[in-house]
Amino acid sequence: MRVSHEWLGEMVDLEGVEPAQVADLLTLSGTEVEKVTAFGVGLDQVVVGEVVGLRRVEGSDHLFLAHVATPGQEPREVICGADNLFVGALVPWARPGTRLPIGAEIGRKRLRGIWSEGMLCAPDELGLGSDHDGVLILSPDDAERGTTLDRLYPADHLYELEVLSNRADCLSHWGVARELSALLSRPLRDPEASRPTRSSLSPSVQVTVDSPTDCPVYLAEVLIGFSEAPAPDFVRRRLAAIGQRSLGGIVDLANYVMFEIGQPLHTFDLNRLPGVERGLEVGVRRGREGESIACLDGVARELDAETLVITVGDAPQAVAGLIGGEASAVGRGTSQVLLEAANFNWALLRSTSRRLRLRTEASGRFERQLSPHLARRGADRFIHLAVRHLGATLGPGAVGGAPLAPAAAIRCDPVWISSILGMELGPDEVASPLRRLQFEVRQEGGEVLATPPPYRTDVSTAVDLAEEVGRIIGYREVPGTLPPIRQAPPPEALEEPVARLTSTTCRAAGFSEALSLSLVSGEREALAPRLRRDLPHLELANPLSAQLGSLRLGLLQGLLQSAHHNQARGQDKVRLFEQGAAFWARGQERPEEPWMLAVLDLEDDGAADAVTRLRHLMALIASLSSVGGGGVVEFRPVTWPALHRARAAEVWAGAERRGIVGEVAQPVADAFDIRGRVEVAELRLDGWLKPGGRPGRAPSLPRTPALVLDLSVTVPSRALLGPALRAVAALDLPELELVTPIDEFLGDQLGPGFKGWTLRLRLRHPERTLTTAEGDGVRQAVLRVLELEVGARAR
Amino acid sequence: MTSVDLQELTAMALEEIAGADSLEGLDEVRLRYLGRRDGLVTLAGQRLRELSPDQRAAYGQAFNRASGELRAALETRQRELAAGEEAEREDAEWVDMSHPFREPGQGHPHPVAGLIREIEDVFAFLGYQSVAGPELEDDQHNFQLLNMPPEHPARDAHDTFYLSPPAGGWLYRTHTSPVQMRAMLGSRPPLRIIVPGRVARRDNPDPTHTPVFHQVEGLCVDRGVTLGDLKGTLEYVIRALFGGDRRVRLRASFFPYTEPSLEADVACAVCQGVGCRTCLQKGWIEILGSGMVHPEVLRNGGVDPETHSGFAFGMGPDRIAVLRYGLTDLRDLYENDLRLLECF
Ligand SMILES: [Zn+2]
Repeated sequence: MRVSHEWLGEMVDLEGVEPAQVADLLTLSGTEVEKVTAFGVGLDQVVVGEVVGLRRVEGSDHLFLAHVATPGQEPREVICGADNLFVGALVPWARPGTRLPIGAEIGRKRLRGIWSEGMLCAPDELGLGSDHDGVLILSPDDAERGTTLDRLYPADHLYELEVLSNRADCLSHWGVARELSALLSRPLRDPEASRPTRSSLSPSVQVTVDSPTDCPVYLAEVLIGFSEAPAPDFVRRRLAAIGQRSLGGIVDLANYVMFEIGQPLHTFDLNRLPGVERGLEVGVRRGREGESIACLDGVARELDAETLVITVGDAPQAVAGLIGGEASAVGRGTSQVLLEAANFNWALLRSTSRRLRLRTEASGRFERQLSPHLARRGADRFIHLAVRHLGATLGPGAVGGAPLAPAAAIRCDPVWISSILGMELGPDEVASPLRRLQFEVRQEGGEVLATPPPYRTDVSTAVDLAEEVGRIIGYREVPGTLPPIRQAPPPEALEEPVARLTSTTCRAAGFSEALSLSLVSGEREALAPRLRRDLPHLELANPLSAQLGSLRLGLLQGLLQSAHHNQARGQDKVRLFEQGAAFWARGQERPEEPWMLAVLDLEDDGAADAVTRLRHLMALIASLSSVGGGGVVEFRPVTWPALHRARAAEVWAGAERRGIVGEVAQPVADAFDIRGRVEVAELRLDGWLKPGGRPGRAPSLPRTPALVLDLSVTVPSRALLGPALRAVAALDLPELELVTPIDEFLGDQLGPGFKGWTLRLRLRHPERTLTTAEGDGVRQAVLRVLELEVGARAR
Repeated sequence: MTSVDLQELTAMALEEIAGADSLEGLDEVRLRYLGRRDGLVTLAGQRLRELSPDQRAAYGQAFNRASGELRAALETRQRELAAGEEAEREDAEWVDMSHPFREPGQGHPHPVAGLIREIEDVFAFLGYQSVAGPELEDDQHNFQLLNMPPEHPARDAHDTFYLSPPAGGWLYRTHTSPVQMRAMLGSRPPLRIIVPGRVARRDNPDPTHTPVFHQVEGLCVDRGVTLGDLKGTLEYVIRALFGGDRRVRLRASFFPYTEPSLEADVACAVCQGVGCRTCLQKGWIEILGSGMVHPEVLRNGGVDPETHSGFAFGMGPDRIAVLRYGLTDLRDLYENDLRLLECF
């Protein structure tokens, strides 16, 4: 919302207060000023001229030649394209040499053989709003010939405000002035509002509200005898300043009151309403199937039981709080008006506004729970201005809705407020900011009883008062403290969380940390390898696009995309990992959110190198399990969708499958537009790795020497080392401390279809040195197992 | 043989030791003079027996001196020759140590993930434990228990992703605040937690929005917790994250789940508070929303607002990363471009 410094200044004395200070005070107390702009600056070069002669420029269908005069000067010729000039009009005249506020430099210009001495300006050309419909016509009441325009449009500052969603009361100059009055401790001057004696010369009016829940208050006022005069200059000037177009005297006045008081008003042309002769029957009711209304914006809208409508003689005349009907619109020549000042249910209006995809200044205010008490104030302000400036006479009025409950007093204890704010405040210090905010405050014993002003719908409890006191005193005044730590340290306080352990381990292995969106294209993820392959995607009901329509089932899709992104930008080596939640559907039940890790290694290189990288990836998985207390990892060869059929394995630890590792199948890499071989792994970490990882207990360290023996065997060329070593481990020989494969080779002497393994056995007895014979015994036992398991022969 | 002969022999031997130019040559010299059976000096030593007892003492001393001297010389020369040979061997294994290498030894942290770990560390100093909560939530935890009943206007700011049936009862959390509720419902005060995690809002990706982003939520509930405590805590944390000389301001605000509510701004680092494009001419950059936990929310969490109070805050590590590292487009955070990651 935009508010004017000058306008505010009418309600609270801003003498000596710089715009920057106003902005600061408002911002810190909750009404954020997003921008301060100067308005009407540079008008000291534009003069008020009188059009003393006017004719069409020959040979042109849209240009006029005006003779413009200032006192004591010969009239000059000015060419003008606007069609709203008339002889006697007072207009802003930018003479040659003038620099306009919008930056244009005015010169003498020759048009159609005539020298034009400067230009007559439209409001937008003067930096006075966006109106470009014609030359700004100045009112003879205010404008004096020959004076400069800055006397008419004093320089102003505009504040662009972001009003908090609970502060409907601040959506007006009056509301903002109330804040400033409290913040500056300067008195508030309420805008004048009065209701003169009613005339009985006009039609009577009745209001029937079907449901006070839908419409807590509906004021209808008849006003007659409007002159055709435009709204007074100060009204038009201020509206222009905040960017509102001038729409004629009556509408301008209603808008003015909305921006000043905050109460939206609607005016109907009385003579265009049905039943004027018998007396007006205004109704507020829900729409009916089949009803429709042609609205002011030229759109015909269907009505239904979800829509609140204003009827006259039971015929819909307006969609309540949103937009008026075309049939009863105020226009040129309107002299009698039915004024509506009402309040509508915010939730109802909100859903109507959404359904109709229509938001207006009025609906925006109602939606924020505008106080129903404001209706009377708004009506009276309009009446006051209409009678005074537009020659109107007040006729009968009527009220519908339910009696408005007065605001209740809120009791609060200054000691409690002090304990919330963290600063010592006595009853007077609590009362003072509340009084400045127009609360009625009484002190009773040590307690403070405060009644909020009727337009503050956001204040109803003691903690609301605490906030008011705090923000008006200013949080700058609250001393910052650190609360003492009273809770016990959590048992795992010193243990490294799994996510950190994982990140550190992966980075140490040369992989960089990635983060991808958890929203994916389900179609695309279906192509990528993943640990959980049997589940459908969880879909969003309201996605932004199909590309972001599903929740990810795994993390590899994101990494493959990033791999492509990096390769396309010239990286020949991409090593990334990501950890985070994936989303696994469980029907109606809460979906499962496993904590996943995905790792990717891409290099656009030869095939041999791919195996090294794959092994590196597997080593990373093993060391991750080791530091995370996940136990010994076992890789079980497997064929897996989207992975190379001969280069894929499941990752097992204990009796659980924890992940998959392998090379991405070439067609899949192609689908992701990736060159080269991509080695990947995806693991589920929760339930496997533990915070703190390793057991952290010292073993007994034997001091006897180890006996180291090598065992060389010949095995079939596709014999698997993993199961062979597991079988050896399953022997559980007490002396056999460690078995390490130290060589694997092919050779002519082994014959086709065979390969050789050399295993190094480390043996140890905790108390004594082992003999060679004992060593041979172990070696024979290992050999027997290898014979059984993989058909090994000793070499 | 006399002591004089022994002297000459020694002199000869020393000369040969000095002249040896390889370890093998030196060993030959050693065998020639000190060989156990027929070394010249060894043999000279054996003469001792042939001498009369009164001659023996002098000759014995001379012999000991000579053989000691030779052994020392041999040892020294051996060390010299060994060092020389090692140097030659190493020279043969010359490597261009100035050659540039390609392999990055260590991977890089993601700026946002790194920042979250940093935030966790700062709060750990203040006794906050980092906890996690589910990313998919129900309306109850994401909104209702946090004082946002259906149709509440504050929900407008939380443009929410809902899941399709059959999982239609779930939504992607729009903030990490539901974990506050879970923490309060799951344990008793005193309570101090922070909750880093992913959230999602229905914003089309653009330079200042990504539909999925991160938040770090914090909650402190105890007896006698004040807004002053909130202020002190925020100042401590902001100093830790942005440096001690960065100006901070607290601004009144509104959130349905806190009252009083505050937002924290830091002075814009680009313009030092004068106003620029980064801060939209405000001079300040909003980094955090916070407030005293609303009594209704405490009650919903099973905490008695008569005896306990608390504060809560939420910040956006993505935004903070943008500010701290000078990123110009939030979307860059989720593309994992190594040229970006390698800067951290
Ligand atoms: Zn800036």
